[in-house]
Amino acid sequence: MHGIFAIYRKEMEDHFSSIRFLLIAALIVMVGVIIASMVGMSMQEELRGIAKPNFIFLLLFTSTGKLFSFTQFIGLLGPLIGIILGFDAINRERTGRTLSKLVSQPIYRDAIINAKFLAGVTMIAIVMVSIVLIISGLGIRLIGVVPGADEMWRLLIYIILSILYISFWLGAAILFSVVFRSTATSALASLAAWIFLSFFVGLGGSFLADAIAPMSQTADVAQATEAFIKNDQVQRIASLLSPATLYGDATSTILDPLRKTPRTFIMMGPLERLSLSRFQNPLPLMQSVVIVAPFLISLIAITFVCFGICYMVFMRQEIRST
Amino acid sequence: MGRVSYLRRLFTVAIIIFVLLGVAPALIMAQETDKKDNRPERGIALYTDYSGVAVAKGETVQMDLTLENKGRTDENVDVRITSVAKDWKATLKGARYRVTGMYVPNGKAKTLALTLEPAKGIGPGKYAFQFEAKTADGKLTANHTLSVDVQERTVGADNIQITAAYPVLRGQTDSKFEFSLEVMNKGDMERTFNLSAVGPEKWEINFKPAYEQKQISSIRVKEGQNQTVAVEVTPNQNANSGEYPVLVRISSGESKAEVKLTVNLTGTYRLDAGTPNGILSLEAFGGKPVTFSLFVRNNGSAVNRNISFSSFKPENWETTFKPEKIESLAPGAMKQVEVTVTPGRQSLVGDYSVGLMVNGEKADKTVEMRVTVKASSAWGWIGIGIILLVIAGLSFLFIKMGRR
Repeated sequence: MHGIFAIYRKEMEDHFSSIRFLLIAALIVMVGVIIASMVGMSMQEELRGIAKPNFIFLLLFTSTGKLFSFTQFIGLLGPLIGIILGFDAINRERTGRTLSKLVSQPIYRDAIINAKFLAGVTMIAIVMVSIVLIISGLGIRLIGVVPGADEMWRLLIYIILSILYISFWLGAAILFSVVFRSTATSALASLAAWIFLSFFVGLGGSFLADAIAPMSQTADVAQATEAFIKNDQVQRIASLLSPATLYGDATSTILDPLRKTPRTFIMMGPLERLSLSRFQNPLPLMQSVVIVAPFLISLIAITFVCFGICYMVFMRQEIRST
Repeated sequence: MGRVSYLRRLFTVAIIIFVLLGVAPALIMAQETDKKDNRPERGIALYTDYSGVAVAKGETVQMDLTLENKGRTDENVDVRITSVAKDWKATLKGARYRVTGMYVPNGKAKTLALTLEPAKGIGPGKYAFQFEAKTADGKLTANHTLSVDVQERTVGADNIQITAAYPVLRGQTDSKFEFSLEVMNKGDMERTFNLSAVGPEKWEINFKPAYEQKQISSIRVKEGQNQTVAVEVTPNQNANSGEYPVLVRISSGESKAEVKLTVNLTGTYRLDAGTPNGILSLEAFGGKPVTFSLFVRNNGSAVNRNISFSSFKPENWETTFKPEKIESLAPGAMKQVEVTVTPGRQSLVGDYSVGLMVNGEKADKTVEMRVTVKASSAWGWIGIGIILLVIAGLSFLFIKMGRR
């Protein structure tokens, strides 16, 4: 334990003093602030005259404003923080020939990778919490609405989801830094994985869906709907392989209490719609949590599994020879 | 030949024309002399159509007084009432004026409106009125006497007649009853009738003209004609079933008429339904049935039969009622029905509205339930299992590979 703590502190010092991290954090904080103030100001105009709208505060994070919302932004560029924090975690030590020195210290070997991962997660948590706090503060100033307990809980869950999601990419980046000797290769590999999982899985999912369940051009409405629903199901299952989709669905559901399902298309008869539209209440927090739970669990699982693989590969590696 | 016949015809026509020309003036002359002979030089007459009338007590006599010029000269005639019975007021009017004299051309007759108005307390008896007409030069006079026999008023039930087309109406307590009455004025003048009605306590009784929504309390009917009046009866909401009489009275001055209407109440059909604790919301999981009890109560005052149940629900949902039907429910009685609601397997998390309809024979009631579909937490347990598994795997790795 002593070993872990020592390396953890050293890693934190490195992170805080690195220009690279400062740049990315500054970029994210800046974009976050710009988005928040833009959304806040447009909401200020829209909400003029409305007595007491519900869950306004969360709109700061989900409303798209002029460009895109904060959640979309983090979903897209959040992985970059993880990658930047982790892509050279091990192989930089290796090329700097400090890894063998580190290993020769009286500490366990797993303390190195554990501490590096933990330090990265801590950095991610600090960045996320501070951005959310900045936006909240700006939001309170701009729209003059104080968040309720329910909204704060939702935000907390959102922060946890975001930390998990970025930590997954941190784990993936550390894994590449363990596998590849060159920092450039691991950085490129991480970026490739990010681009593939974030953008191409969705595209591949729709190709797959068209191949498995083609949408036939029939006049029969029922048949067409059925084909459409099946197509959508296949596409959805395929896209759930991407952590970006998992994260996006989970955050949009937890931050929007009126959203009752993370699915995009729902088969709904006219009577059901009528019956559902009778009471348009926001979901209670617990129900939203229960809906989001599978996504949360999946994110936790892939993050842990990713780190587990990384740990295993690192522990089995020969270090002294380099 | 043709020429001879033409001459003959011409001759005949000529003879006819000659005869007509000679005879016609002679005939006209004969007529004129005939008329002239019969009329005197001057002569006037004064009379009313009836020289004696009998009226009821308090009634005003209205009549025409006729002045006739029987002579060949036009006359200016002074008219006056020479004697008026005590406590009576007599006026002579022509157009808008009281008349004291008038111009009567020869051979013509002119009329004046005579009004004889008795004072209030005048008793029965004979009253005489005298009128005198005098030419302007005072040479000719004419007199006329009118006697009025005032009689004690006979209570004239006969001169108002009410007929009800449907004197007995039957219906639910909460409905309105509209009787149609025909009021006939059999008297000899236009009259205003006052309408009044006596019904059971706390009942509302209104008079309306036929096909109009006004409430009236009197009606004007011309002599010899009839008018339709609608009587709207609204029973007291708490009235028991049974027969209730409503007495409608129509009066004008001293004469009156009555008609008895009957409202036959059959009671009300009213159903009430709800949950025993008054909570109209329930929680359910998708695909899992939820059972709760619904009570059905007969709030009306008549027996409700054949009460069945139905529901308004989303597709793929199921509702069952046990029992499915209630044969009969006495007034005030209450029965319990077990309702099972099964949300569809694919239903979303959130609040659904489910309407439960209780359909009696003549009454129904809808209870709207808010069904909150909750997300099944089964997945949560599976997820926790997965996480435990992952953590166990990691710990295994730590223990096996760490501490090198």
